[in-house]
Amino acid sequence: MPGVEFGVHHANHYYGHSHVLARYCGLDDTSPPRLHGYLQHGWNIGDGMAPDHEYVPGIPKFVWSERVRRRAWSLGRREVYVVGSPWAYLLSMEPAASSEPREGTIWYPFHGWEGQHIIGDHDGLIREIRETETGPVTVCLYWQEFRDKRVRALYEKAGFRVICHGYRGGWWKDLDPGFLYRQLAEQRRHSRVASNRLCSAIMYGTLAGCEPAVYGDPMQLEGEKSAFGGQARIVREWGALHGKSIDVPLARQVATAELGADRLLPPAELRRLFQWPSLREDPDFELTGVLTR
Amino acid sequence: MTTLIGGEMLLWSDLDGSHGPAPAQGDALRSLTSKACGRTLVAGPHAPSLLPAGDVTVLIRGAEDAPAYATHPGVTVLCGSLEKLSGSYDTVIALDGLDRLHSAEAPPFSWDETLTQLRAVLAPGGRLLLGMENLFGVHRLAARPTPPADTDWTVPDDRDPHRPAGHARLLARLESAGLDITHDYAAYPSLSSPSVLLGRTALNSPSGALSAAIAAAFPRVAASDPAALIDPVRLASTACRNGLTVELAPAWIVVATSGEATTSSFPELVINAEPVTVSSLPQGRTLEDHLLAAAQRRDLPAMRALLTTWQSGPSAGVPADRVVLTSVQESSGALVPLASPGDPLKALRAFASTAIAGGYAHLWPIQADETELTAVLAGMTGRELDPAEVPPADHPATPSTADLLSDRERLTRELSEAKAKHEWYEKMLLHREAEVKRVRQMNALLSATAPGRAATSLVGGLRAGKRAVRAVVRRTRGN
Repeated sequence: MPGVEFGVHHANHYYGHSHVLARYCGLDDTSPPRLHGYLQHGWNIGDGMAPDHEYVPGIPKFVWSERVRRRAWSLGRREVYVVGSPWAYLLSMEPAASSEPREGTIWYPFHGWEGQHIIGDHDGLIREIRETETGPVTVCLYWQEFRDKRVRALYEKAGFRVICHGYRGGWWKDLDPGFLYRQLAEQRRHSRVASNRLCSAIMYGTLAGCEPAVYGDPMQLEGEKSAFGGQARIVREWGALHGKSIDVPLARQVATAELGADRLLPPAELRRLFQWPSLREDPDFELTGVLTR
Repeated sequence: MTTLIGGEMLLWSDLDGSHGPAPAQGDALRSLTSKACGRTLVAGPHAPSLLPAGDVTVLIRGAEDAPAYATHPGVTVLCGSLEKLSGSYDTVIALDGLDRLHSAEAPPFSWDETLTQLRAVLAPGGRLLLGMENLFGVHRLAARPTPPADTDWTVPDDRDPHRPAGHARLLARLESAGLDITHDYAAYPSLSSPSVLLGRTALNSPSGALSAAIAAAFPRVAASDPAALIDPVRLASTACRNGLTVELAPAWIVVATSGEATTSSFPELVINAEPVTVSSLPQGRTLEDHLLAAAQRRDLPAMRALLTTWQSGPSAGVPADRVVLTSVQESSGALVPLASPGDPLKALRAFASTAIAGGYAHLWPIQADETELTAVLAGMTGRELDPAEVPPADHPATPSTADLLSDRERLTRELSEAKAKHEWYEKMLLHREAEVKRVRQMNALLSATAPGRAATSLVGGLRAGKRAVRAVVRRTRGN
């Protein structure tokens, strides 16, 4: 029972999301408190929650954007509250150094299938990336693919730098509080962010200052679950965000709205909504009146 | 001096309020009665403080009320029923309306007939100050039916064709009686003691100060009072927003003259019993209006900005419904307080209470509790506040029947959610218990293996060694 075992709260720690929020709230980000509610953990064209979530009535759902809130409400979800994405909070805490040089493209091949099918697809994709990108290319693989030597070798042979934001020894058993930090550091080194599907990484990169691009075979497979309209709806609804060269101000506007960067909450409000302890309950604060973190 | 004119009720008082509603009273009405001139008739129950100076005749029906007026110099008291009255007066004051001018001895007269009788004693060029209860006013819409009082030997009814139903019909009826209407007012919160009188010019003003004044005009409901069906304040504010301030006013007051009359300056507007000019009002809607509108369109960033501006400024201690934002643009307006500030947290709590009562509580993923919501609202302004620090409300609102029903529905829902949560936690607990059991069994198994035993004896050995070292240290110190 994957949805039930850890239920609500496990998913909240994905990619170190609750760690980032804990830090924003001035709390211990090495061990974030239990968050009382479901937190959206990826860019979403549905109600903001993972399809396998088990819903407990009355448990609040914290979503990233007002658009998702409206959609969730129309789908019968209640107790939906817009808090913005952890990524947007991270960016507000880690302002970019203006002098930081940016170069090349960080490319996120769409992941999600195993087996030989996608090897051929990877070849096609590599060809298209080479044809399009003029600067150096960093390919960021999902951890499953990164561990697959064959897939990694494919991209390395093509002359790309291959990385994984979440690759740390044994991390897949444990939570990875550093995930978003690594992702941000990498994205800020690149001037473009690209993928074969419009996804969280593209939104993140756009907000982090990269020029987005979405092109290449989206690797649509037969039998792919397409809840809420799936890939076809993404292309239809966010058509302007597809292509090798995209209207950057428009993309920035969409990313800001979808990641809720325009609706961040003050730490005091966030703490109350998550039922997290107030700063005054923090022992460090008790002793010195200041938080050293 | 008291003259019995016939039809008088010897064992009766309208002034003491024991047989029916209280008499017309209050400083707001005083600002109208003080404009009386010439020979003046005060017809029906009016508090003695309303009597103007000069040549005044009071018509009462209960003999017990006579002494209250007798002490006023120059006042003639006539005790009896209106149909027995004769004479001619330059000013006729009937702010209590036409329903308490006849005694129980008189045959029933219709509203129209009563007006004709009153009109007969108004001198040419004279002025009539007439009050009328609106039988479809917010005070009646919100109230539960009450048993008839002693004074209700006949009861005014809006089905009566001889009684004007509605403000427009009232004015038309007076005009057809040959009167010229010079001023008319919507009176809140009641006919007998209004504190807000809205003149015609005031009604065209979009100022939030008007709805704020109307809201503040309603007396606080005491816990002992019978519960209203719905909150009359909320109803009056809604009426105000929908341009129905006059149509749903609890009462109307009309100033009309019979032919050419001497000019007299009546106030445009009376707020809190003080005459006010419309131009002196701050222009803009109340902060509460802006906040709730932002809540309704789920614009929480705008709400955060408004709350922060309010709570970080000098108006922090003024309740949101008593603050006017003087601009359509929420970002650029200034906050104008209409009351003196108190405790900011109490003001914030009052808004939380309004938000809950107005059905906005579901906007926040918390239980609809005033202190909890106050803490979240404080959080929206960036302020750390524990619900335990929220001060109690000065005048906890007595819930209306509608509030009680929606509270019950909400509590039922919250209970079922709490049960679902409880079941979920139970399931989690069982799962975790099974996990702990499994880990313990694994521990026991591992301890039984050779490496496990070795580890156990190593730990045991270390502990023994530690004990031995301690014993040696103790002995050495002892020596």
